[in-house]
Amino acid sequence: MCGIVGYIGEREAQPILINCLKRLEYRGYDSCGIALLGRGTEVYKGAVRIETLERSLQPNDGRTGIGHTRWATHGKPSESNAHPHTDCSGKIAVVHNGVIDNFLQLREQLTNEGHTFRSETDTEVIPHLIEKYYQGDLEQAVSRAIVDITGAYAFIAIHADQKELVVARKESPLIVGIGDKENLVASDVPAVLDYTDRVMYLEDGDIGVITKTDVRFTQNGKKVKRAEHRVPWGIEEAQKAGYDHFMIKEIHEQPKVIRNTFAGYISALEPDIDLGIRSDLDFNNILILACGTSYHAALVGKHAIERLAQIPVRVDIASEFNYSDAVVGKTWVIVITQSGETADSMRALKKAKELGCHTLVITNVVESSVTRIGDDVLYIKAGPEISVAATKSFIAQLIMLYLLAMARASVDVRSRGSLIAELRQLPNKVHEILDREGEIAERGRYLAEHENVFFVARGINFPVALEGALKMKEIAYIHAEGYAAGELKHGPFALLTPDTPVVAIAARDNTYETLLVNIKEIKARESPVIAVAEEGDEEIEKYVDFVIRVPKVDPMFSPVVNSIALQLLAYYTAKERGCSIDTPRNLAKSVTVE
Amino acid sequence: MERIEQAVILAAGEGQRLRPFTASKPKVMIAIANKPILQYVIEAVARNGIRKILVVVGYQKEQVKDYFGNGDQFNVELDYVEQRQQLGTAHALKQVRESVRGKFLTLSGDNIIEPDTISELVQAQANTILVKEQENISKYGVIEAQDGVVTSIVEKPKEALSHLVNTGIYAFSDDIFDLIAQETDLTSVILNMIDLGHEVKTCEATGPWLDVVYPWDMLQLNDMALAKISPATGGTIESGVSIRGLISIGKGSTIRSNSYIVGPAIIGENCEIGPSVCILPSTSMGNNVCISPFTIIANSIIADGVEIGPSSTVQDSIIDRGCQVKGHFVTQSGETEIKVDDEYHRVRIGAMLGEHCSIGTSVVTAPGIIAGNRCQVKALKVLEESIPDKGLVV
Repeated sequence: MCGIVGYIGEREAQPILINCLKRLEYRGYDSCGIALLGRGTEVYKGAVRIETLERSLQPNDGRTGIGHTRWATHGKPSESNAHPHTDCSGKIAVVHNGVIDNFLQLREQLTNEGHTFRSETDTEVIPHLIEKYYQGDLEQAVSRAIVDITGAYAFIAIHADQKELVVARKESPLIVGIGDKENLVASDVPAVLDYTDRVMYLEDGDIGVITKTDVRFTQNGKKVKRAEHRVPWGIEEAQKAGYDHFMIKEIHEQPKVIRNTFAGYISALEPDIDLGIRSDLDFNNILILACGTSYHAALVGKHAIERLAQIPVRVDIASEFNYSDAVVGKTWVIVITQSGETADSMRALKKAKELGCHTLVITNVVESSVTRIGDDVLYIKAGPEISVAATKSFIAQLIMLYLLAMARASVDVRSRGSLIAELRQLPNKVHEILDREGEIAERGRYLAEHENVFFVARGINFPVALEGALKMKEIAYIHAEGYAAGELKHGPFALLTPDTPVVAIAARDNTYETLLVNIKEIKARESPVIAVAEEGDEEIEKYVDFVIRVPKVDPMFSPVVNSIALQLLAYYTAKERGCSIDTPRNLAKSVTVE
Repeated sequence: MERIEQAVILAAGEGQRLRPFTASKPKVMIAIANKPILQYVIEAVARNGIRKILVVVGYQKEQVKDYFGNGDQFNVELDYVEQRQQLGTAHALKQVRESVRGKFLTLSGDNIIEPDTISELVQAQANTILVKEQENISKYGVIEAQDGVVTSIVEKPKEALSHLVNTGIYAFSDDIFDLIAQETDLTSVILNMIDLGHEVKTCEATGPWLDVVYPWDMLQLNDMALAKISPATGGTIESGVSIRGLISIGKGSTIRSNSYIVGPAIIGENCEIGPSVCILPSTSMGNNVCISPFTIIANSIIADGVEIGPSSTVQDSIIDRGCQVKGHFVTQSGETEIKVDDEYHRVRIGAMLGEHCSIGTSVVTAPGIIAGNRCQVKALKVLEESIPDKGLVV
């Protein structure tokens, strides 16, 4: 998904384009760019976020321009691949959202005709096609160009010699915002709402010519009228799809994210998983390096890999590893980072490389910095994550680590088959938790009244306790501690009071009985206990004050369902406390300083 | 006449008579040919040039938001308003009072419509009811009109006073909010309006208006909707697969060797079919469905994430999300009587399984069996009676 904008009017275009692009950031943010009609067509772009591009820009008095923000699904985010794209003469610039199906063929044809291509994108064929057909009329050139194109597109074209924006749409969103002596174009309405509430919608096949005072459309060469609409209700929030925050929207995307992450890797008929990474490596232990939420995913991965593949796994916080006298032998190093730009993880990755280790990177952002350093790369398919508190990327990281463990599994074919069947069902199980959101919200409102909360668990769910506590800290500003249940008696017991609720994660694995003993110890200190327990576990009700139910899954996958229950718990606690959920105080999405 | 530019779609209802299929989703999210009913409505509205759509959600509202998002996939601007208690259509409409101005369309998200169904209504004046001629009127509100002006509405009449039924689709202006007063359903509001001397007009629908009342209606509508899908062959189709008729296969799906698919049929994304599976008309299969070898599926709806074991026969049946069915499963199909709300209905149907049922090896179901959500049936059972939610057959 990408976002595009265009401006033509009497004001300086640059700050308006940047502001509109920021509004479209939810559609992607791995690279961006703008083109302005000033002295010729000036293009500024890069594989950077919009704020970074904004800082690098000099004031420009161009009154016409276009902009683009990108989320790469194929083709790396790089300066040359960032939009806008230009033709050979550098006069025509185009921003595009969609996929040109026949671009290889068009590119070959245009190359033979003498055009020079500078990127790997499908989009670049559009400016070259327009150049090919341009004879002094941009609209005519665009209408001739789209005859050659098959695929989906919404694009805006400008030409250094023309005072107009020419737009075309087929199967990708595009609207025109009507202003006073200025007009805007964008992928969605919220992007232009700072400037106007009057919009027009393009239909499939429409070509539009937009000047600062006029907007006209044609379809198949015939003039068509498109009605002007007033935006009647506050759709600034529409990007959140009716939710109050991006975080809860992203929590709800998790069934789809899980499916997207395992799609293509698992099959009911073939129990072997091929992740497409090097499989002939000589190693006898694994070291996983990560920060924050990714570190917690790594800890779950350790349990899964050790259980299935019987390979010893160490997990280290990336920033700590950087200052340690790391001892590596035949070690395979895995670095996990959502953004692919985390400074501490980058440095740890470089250090591991220097130590001679083979490295694998797991990240969400295609061709981000880490992917240029790691030997192998696996992408989770979480899509852009806007909320600072990671939710869907954490779950996708877990799925990728499970796949990795299963790909290396030394267990028999029967167990592999049943694990694959379980994994396949996980999205449905996650739906079940989401369907019961209301019950968890009630517990959230209860926790909101407290200032201290403990999260305890054992085994593979211990990292889930850490992650549950982290979410509570970062979005609800409640002091929360995650503990291995057995560790409470070595000190923290002193802090338990009737005002300190404890959330206990009770998975039905070999830790269950001892966890029940721990819960009894906690109850003896009169702390209220909320258990997260699977459907049908009636035993637990005898010992705790409240139970949050999660669907029954193989204990190995229980961190997925338990974490999602705790994400919802943190969200509703924070909501009750009126916290700024998507942008918590003092925190940034990707930490690019050490 | 000024065209209408905004629409309000009422999508808060549960659809109790469609249980078990509405246990965890609202009625508007029931999928027909892999598309929720609400999507047909939104597409019809958008095709008539209405881009601003307000959806009144209630029961299981997250499912609606998760699927439709902000509407950009559907080329509309969607916003949501919540109706906390489902007290009736007028009460639902009242929730949007602050958000609409001037003339607007009100639609029920429960009925499948097409663009031409409402193409005349979008140009009509405020206070117009879209009516549809219907043979069997007993379950609808029947409109009596003179020269296109409504004189009365009779709910579920015993005798056919007229064959024009109320589609629940209206053109209103924002004056309606004052007229709603304390009424909870729109029929009463209209009757009050007539009493007060307001002119309420009728506009006859030219396109289809299809109602899903009972689970078996889903199969009939599925068959009709499949005739209009656009053909597509995504994914991998291995050699020796035979494909005929109107077929849509989603991306990431694999159809293995020697499978035989006869359209109309739709197969979603990331499905694994076969080898040697037979899919016959009119079958809809959601995403991530897995069908094992030597299984036959005919005239059925198979929802997301369903797995069906080898050598099974599934016909005239509905299998909802996440059901796990082991091999040698047979749904017998035939004419049978099914009781819903103390009424008996005579229908020809196979089995209807709710979400997340787990069915053991070699289970046979009698025609018209309804299994609730999360039922578990052990191996070698013959199901001759319906089972409630979480029912256990051992």
